[in-house]
Amino acid sequence: MGEAIKNFFKKDLVQYIVKRVLMFIPTLILISILVFFVIQLPPGDYVSAHIAALATEGELVDADYAASMRADYGLDLPVWQQYLKWVKDIIWTPTDSAYYRLYHSHHNWKYSFAYGRDVWSVVNDRLGLTIGVTAIIMLFQYLVSIPIAVYASTHQYSVGDYISAIIGFLGTAIPNFILAIVLMYISYKWTGNANVGLFTQEMLQNGIHLYNFGDFLKRMIIPIIVIGTSGTCGIIRSVRAQMLDEVAQQYTLTARAKGVSEGKIIMKYCFRAAINPTVSGLGGVLSSLFSGSTVTALVLNMQIQGPVLYKALQSQDMYLAGAIVMIQAVLVVIGVLFSDIALAFLDPRIRYSGGGR
Amino acid sequence: MRKNIKTKALSAVLTAAMSVSMLTACGGAATPANTDAGTDTQTEAPAQTTDAQTDTATEVAADPVEVTGYQEAPMLAEQVSSGKLPAVADRLPGTSDVFVETLDATGKPIEIGNYGGVINLTGAGGGWGLSRPTLESIIRYNTDGSYYPNVIKSFEHNDDFTEWVFHLREGMKWSDGEDFNADDITFWYYMCHLTNYDGKKSWAALKETVDGEDAWAKLTKNDDYTVTWTFVNPKYPADFIENGDFKWCWAPEHYLHDLIPDTEEIPYVENEYYESTGLSEEDVLANAQKKNIDAATVKDLGKAVSYNFWNTSGLPTLNSFVLSTVPGNSSKDDTLCIMDRNPYFWKVDAMGNQLPYVDALHFNTTSEDGQDLLMFRSGEIDIITIAMQDIAATLADLGDQASLREWGTTDWGAYQITFNYTNTDKNYAELFANKDFREAMSICVDRSQVSELLTDGFLEPGQAAPAEGNVGYSEEWSKKWTEYDVDKAKSLLEGCGLVMGSDGFYDFADGSDLMITFLAYDGGADDSYPVFEQYYKAVGINCALKDLEVSAFDTQIDNNDWIAVMGPHTPIGGASLKDRAAPFVPIAQAAEWYGEYGTYYSTNGAQGVEPTGDMVKLVELYDKWRLTPDEAERDKYQEEIFKIHEENLWSIGYLKAENSYELISNKIKNYADNLVWADCYQYANMAHYEVMFKAE
Repeated sequence: MGEAIKNFFKKDLVQYIVKRVLMFIPTLILISILVFFVIQLPPGDYVSAHIAALATEGELVDADYAASMRADYGLDLPVWQQYLKWVKDIIWTPTDSAYYRLYHSHHNWKYSFAYGRDVWSVVNDRLGLTIGVTAIIMLFQYLVSIPIAVYASTHQYSVGDYISAIIGFLGTAIPNFILAIVLMYISYKWTGNANVGLFTQEMLQNGIHLYNFGDFLKRMIIPIIVIGTSGTCGIIRSVRAQMLDEVAQQYTLTARAKGVSEGKIIMKYCFRAAINPTVSGLGGVLSSLFSGSTVTALVLNMQIQGPVLYKALQSQDMYLAGAIVMIQAVLVVIGVLFSDIALAFLDPRIRYSGGGR
Repeated sequence: MRKNIKTKALSAVLTAAMSVSMLTACGGAATPANTDAGTDTQTEAPAQTTDAQTDTATEVAADPVEVTGYQEAPMLAEQVSSGKLPAVADRLPGTSDVFVETLDATGKPIEIGNYGGVINLTGAGGGWGLSRPTLESIIRYNTDGSYYPNVIKSFEHNDDFTEWVFHLREGMKWSDGEDFNADDITFWYYMCHLTNYDGKKSWAALKETVDGEDAWAKLTKNDDYTVTWTFVNPKYPADFIENGDFKWCWAPEHYLHDLIPDTEEIPYVENEYYESTGLSEEDVLANAQKKNIDAATVKDLGKAVSYNFWNTSGLPTLNSFVLSTVPGNSSKDDTLCIMDRNPYFWKVDAMGNQLPYVDALHFNTTSEDGQDLLMFRSGEIDIITIAMQDIAATLADLGDQASLREWGTTDWGAYQITFNYTNTDKNYAELFANKDFREAMSICVDRSQVSELLTDGFLEPGQAAPAEGNVGYSEEWSKKWTEYDVDKAKSLLEGCGLVMGSDGFYDFADGSDLMITFLAYDGGADDSYPVFEQYYKAVGINCALKDLEVSAFDTQIDNNDWIAVMGPHTPIGGASLKDRAAPFVPIAQAAEWYGEYGTYYSTNGAQGVEPTGDMVKLVELYDKWRLTPDEAERDKYQEEIFKIHEENLWSIGYLKAENSYELISNKIKNYADNLVWADCYQYANMAHYEVMFKAE
């Protein structure tokens, strides 16, 4: 990977970025086709899922009404026509369309059947919170795991190394949802409150303010531990392994032989090289900031995007599901670009064209 | 209907009782009701009584409850003093028209409560979640099946049942303070219902057949507080006022008038009260947006404002609680959805205290079942539906902080299976039509072991039959074909012409394999199938389970592409034909046990499979039942229908149905016990949330 990127960056950075951006187009077209058709794969459609849901409440819908619902939603058209219309409306909805007059937007992401609202407004509802929560958790991950990894690699086979390894492996090995349930149980046993969800009722009514921010942080403890530990272990292991590689490299020996201080060797040379894979992993960060961790969010009743996608897929609320998956895909593509650029800044061997060992 | 709620007890009176229970008047203002069948059934309301009338000729005079003045909740008093709200007396109907609530649905007096507090509930779920604890309907039922006028003050009909008159309560108001009167009824009928704006023009209550064509009632406004429904043919109570669909007939004209389109799809219906609005689809959607109602199509909008109207924030209703307008708490999908007290609610307690007692209902949506229980345990939720198996442990932990409420069920047995009697493969269709086959499938299972394995012995062995206490209960029926007997089952199967194949399983006589594939959805039979499989296979019936996602399941049922079902599906039977006839007789595209036969009836023979044998008898009896004014005669037809079910057992049930259980925080008062969990009573609606209060 490093080699390939290095070759890319031998050319001009700007040219590289332009080229990558142009590559977005075919990639996104491909992704959009996949997304749309895969969402449509399960038998039935939203109308049949909706009617089934109504039936569970004792409400019967006749076939004519179902057919007219399908016609209204455009679900009676061939799939490829539905697809073209979907893409066309997202890219550009003209000013003289009914949608524009109602919503004043040129990008019609269509309508969430289940929520009875414009898709974008559903997505938007949870966007801020999802980004906030995920950012806090990621920050936790990096701030905790990287120092531990550096410590573990410089103190290989020490007690501290073993302890961090054990905790890290446990974090990875125990599925998030089980850890979540266990922690909720412990919380309930100790405090009488299971801390279900990110907010107290009071916050859901009055919003988060300075006076109840402490309570909010309390509610964040379980999510941080659950989601944080699982990611932490991965980072610790990979950074530690990279560090151990680097520490054994000749340039490290040389530096040490020349009397450079140990701290400087570790931080300035080894660490910067070791962090490479972690930074290239940042490509997925944007996308996960957007959706959050779905299963854990379900278990912890966190009001973030993941569960919305999950429900949309279940009820075949296809435009909502399509929008979320599509946005995630776009963010992955952009994220990868950013992480590549970040790598270039981080690693001088990549930054200076013509450089290298 | 595709629910899995089970049950036992209904109070025994139900049989006699679905007769109109008479309510009498308060303040001595009204004449006693005259209930001779066939003559005017005058039902003057306010004070409530639950004297179930088994003898329709009796005059009823419950102690009138006099209310002299009104009191209100402190939070409303504050708004009155700051000038935001009119005085309580101006918000309620006059003392002769106000509804005085004195009894719960079981007939016990309610306790006078204190104001304030919030009742925390679990999430609202589907379209009806918010309506259950809050909806006020035309009439309201007691647990014994008797009923009384609720939103309307009284109703009466002429001798031949062609005219029904509704009297409204003078001075009653919408939740935004506008008058509620006859205009709101004509508006609903002509502008929302007959235009099919609400998507429910199919309601049988207002529909009849004239000269072989569908026709609808004529609605006349007699004065501001009286309307008359006129039919060409007699319209009997079972098909009108008692019809489970006909829960309301009003919509706030003052709020909705600019949301009614006149388009090709929702065309204006000629009437003497309202002119066409002339609004296009886009106009209407734009007007809706101004009222913060977001909808993709006018049809969605129509359903949101004139059908599931409790889900639409800002829309005035007559319900006890109305949806909050605060963003973040104003949608059923919000994590915390709030329904606030209706400041114009038209019911009071015996002391004249305006209901409801509590300030708000909070619906807390969680993503997993277990979270509700955790929140209940930690006191964040006050009322929760709980599975039988969890009751003992939870109560043991919570001690005197919580107590149990048992809801009787009207279901016919649990763990039902049914077969596709309209299967296109003749081999299967003929086999299923043979009662001996059904008997074999029933007796080849050891029910007591099933009970232990699947329910820890909680549910007793039983059959798909009415539970004790319900209409139609018979011990014989509930024990029919329940004796475990493998040898007899085998000889019955052989009697059906099945031949044992070399693989140890029966084949059809023509040598083709018999394979019963049970269809289920969303893992609904994952636990039970392995248990039943061993019995079926032991007796020589090869079987398999095919679990699908629910809409795929429905598609296969609709396409008649299935052999048998297991796990939750539309159950056979229920409370009584009045509740909803479709689970008893093949008249709709509804239940698996009659499959395409129902399609045949509902499409007047255009599609589906023509019923034969006893299935035809069901339909014939249903038509007689529907077109008979005489209560006793209708009971007789219903009895005959039940008899046919007992003979045929089209669905086989293995265990007795399960009651529903709710745990409530002991702070909650006035939550009656032994209510009935049934669609016709709108489930939780029967608990009367407007009279619940929280003890300090």
